[in-house]
Amino acid sequence: MLKKLLQDRVYSLGITIALICLVASILFPANFPTFENVSQVMLNLSIDTIVAVGMMLLLISGAFDLSVGSVVAFSGGLAANLMYFHNLPVPLAILAGLSSAILIGWVNGYLIAYQGVNPMIQTLAMMGIVRGGALLVAGAGIQNLPYWYNAIGQSKLLGIQMPVWYMLLIVAILSFLVNKTVFFRRYYYIGGNEKAAHLSGIRVKQMKLYGFILSAALAGIAGILLSSRLGAAMSTLGRGMELRVITAVILGGASLSGGVGKIPGALLGAMFMGIIANIMVIARVSGLWQDIILGIILIFAVWLDLFVQKRSLHQNFFRPIWKKESSKELGKAELVE
Amino acid sequence: MKRLSTVLYTTCLTGLLVACELPPRQHSGEKQTADIIRTSASTEVDPNEEYVMVTTAINMPMYVNHDQAAFKKWGAARGVKVSVLGPAEWDVPAQIETIEQVIATRPAGLLINGTDPGITQAINKAVAAGIPTVVYDSDIPGSRRHAFLGTDWYQIGQMQGEEMVKLIGGKGKIAYMGILGLTNMEQGFQGLLDVIKKYPEIEVVGKFDDKANVETAAKLTSDLLAAHPDLSGICGFDSNSGPGMALAVKEAGKAGKVKITTVDWEPEHLQLVQEGVIQMLAGQKRELFTWYGAQFLFDMVHSTNKLSANDAQIGITNIPHTINTGLIKITKENVGQFLKR
Repeated sequence: MLKKLLQDRVYSLGITIALICLVASILFPANFPTFENVSQVMLNLSIDTIVAVGMMLLLISGAFDLSVGSVVAFSGGLAANLMYFHNLPVPLAILAGLSSAILIGWVNGYLIAYQGVNPMIQTLAMMGIVRGGALLVAGAGIQNLPYWYNAIGQSKLLGIQMPVWYMLLIVAILSFLVNKTVFFRRYYYIGGNEKAAHLSGIRVKQMKLYGFILSAALAGIAGILLSSRLGAAMSTLGRGMELRVITAVILGGASLSGGVGKIPGALLGAMFMGIIANIMVIARVSGLWQDIILGIILIFAVWLDLFVQKRSLHQNFFRPIWKKESSKELGKAELVE
Repeated sequence: MKRLSTVLYTTCLTGLLVACELPPRQHSGEKQTADIIRTSASTEVDPNEEYVMVTTAINMPMYVNHDQAAFKKWGAARGVKVSVLGPAEWDVPAQIETIEQVIATRPAGLLINGTDPGITQAINKAVAAGIPTVVYDSDIPGSRRHAFLGTDWYQIGQMQGEEMVKLIGGKGKIAYMGILGLTNMEQGFQGLLDVIKKYPEIEVVGKFDDKANVETAAKLTSDLLAAHPDLSGICGFDSNSGPGMALAVKEAGKAGKVKITTVDWEPEHLQLVQEGVIQMLAGQKRELFTWYGAQFLFDMVHSTNKLSANDAQIGITNIPHTINTGLIKITKENVGQFLKR
């Protein structure tokens, strides 16, 4: 039973997080296990997690998007610019911000899937273009945003700020879709073996396009939430987020070669990093050391996970999920299509 | 059954909507210090009393050598605990996250680097939590901070503009660089442009983003020198602009011919002034930001100067509201004094 649980990164990471929380609660009983601190940690990781969910889906399909951090800055910046300088109503400004994100995702997806541009080059170039765009629309920062815009990210439900609830909702919806629908499960087949997926009748290009659009749309939502939470749009928002999010997703069970990963893994990966960062703040570890310590812990965590999996599952070590699917199930999926 | 589940769903949804708590509306005339500030009745120093500085780009030499060094020196002199926290990179959202996490640990006082107006909410959260909060470097005017100490960035731009006009004789091509999009730097750029626009014979050939990176500043400068061989001067606005611009000008063999004014006075900057590569530094008195900032927090916590029977109740603080620490103009004439320090 335990062996089976440890084989799954979601469970093994969940157990690791629980152990870390236990140790932190013993070491810092006055500061760590408080409602205020825990809700703050969840709030801090909510934006990264929303972006990580999109990145997880992309990585399952064997691709990744480096422009997500810039999209976060641009979508929030554009919405803020339209509300502040052009008096556009809040819903329309949000719609414009989200539409811009979807458009960016479509351009990325189209050029990668249909024109064969390398995903790293395409999204790296897009990262620069969109960051420049964010600088144009947000300039030196836009403050004093409308009350109802700020309310989206600053309201509380049961004492917890709304971005945490949005994050949980997005994780729940995407987990359900990826687990239960044939449409989303095709990403595993694409990530596992793109050629085989194509030969089995899956519209790989179209699916890839949708993947980039969904990832950018989630980054757009994250951008709106972040700017409303801060009550300000900044061109520097989301800087470095892409690598942070990819790290969280890999930690959560995805592989750069595609085919594996689960949506809750994105949340757990972000939680792991967020909790470690929080403990370092509580322990007053200087920022000079935080990156070094976080890096060492990440390497150790991934190594430990590999070690446990290697010990308990010689045969199925890192075997992509699509291979575990029975041919009967794959056939059923294609029949539905 | 179906009707029952509909009723249940509706009840749950209504319950959630009722439980939803909207953020407070902010009014311009809001009382500044209505919160209960956690103060100590005793003037005695508790060695566990902790003051926390939260900044961004925590390992930037300028921050380490000036801000953090003075803050730690103050802590040792006062016999209290001091901690310096924040992300290693220039990452404002990560600074906000750090502030919010520190609030939950209830330090005696918070000293915050005013990196961007986006940190307003976090500052207000600290004030609402009753933590004495002082902002340094750049002001966050929309926030409810208790005090601010720092430099007026518009004046930094003006100082550079006036010196550049003198250095190039009121005519020629100039360019300027820094971190684009940062509020304080944009104010500095504006100060520079407001001076330059009075001189129609000066042409501004561009505004560039060196991303606070020496290599980027050097590359931009060498490209500028290639595109405009008759470039008369360049102004820099972040700590790494000066060394980068100086490197490119030296490599092009134009040291002293292309005039350079920039900010900050790290040993590298001072050396370049002495060599005659940089003509003027607009220096900030950064040690004063954090030394006096921490002292203000201490004075609030210990009610050092009580102005009324209950300062907080009537909405006043016992520390200055805004302090402009002023600028230091460093040129070849006085650089020796700073190098000897």
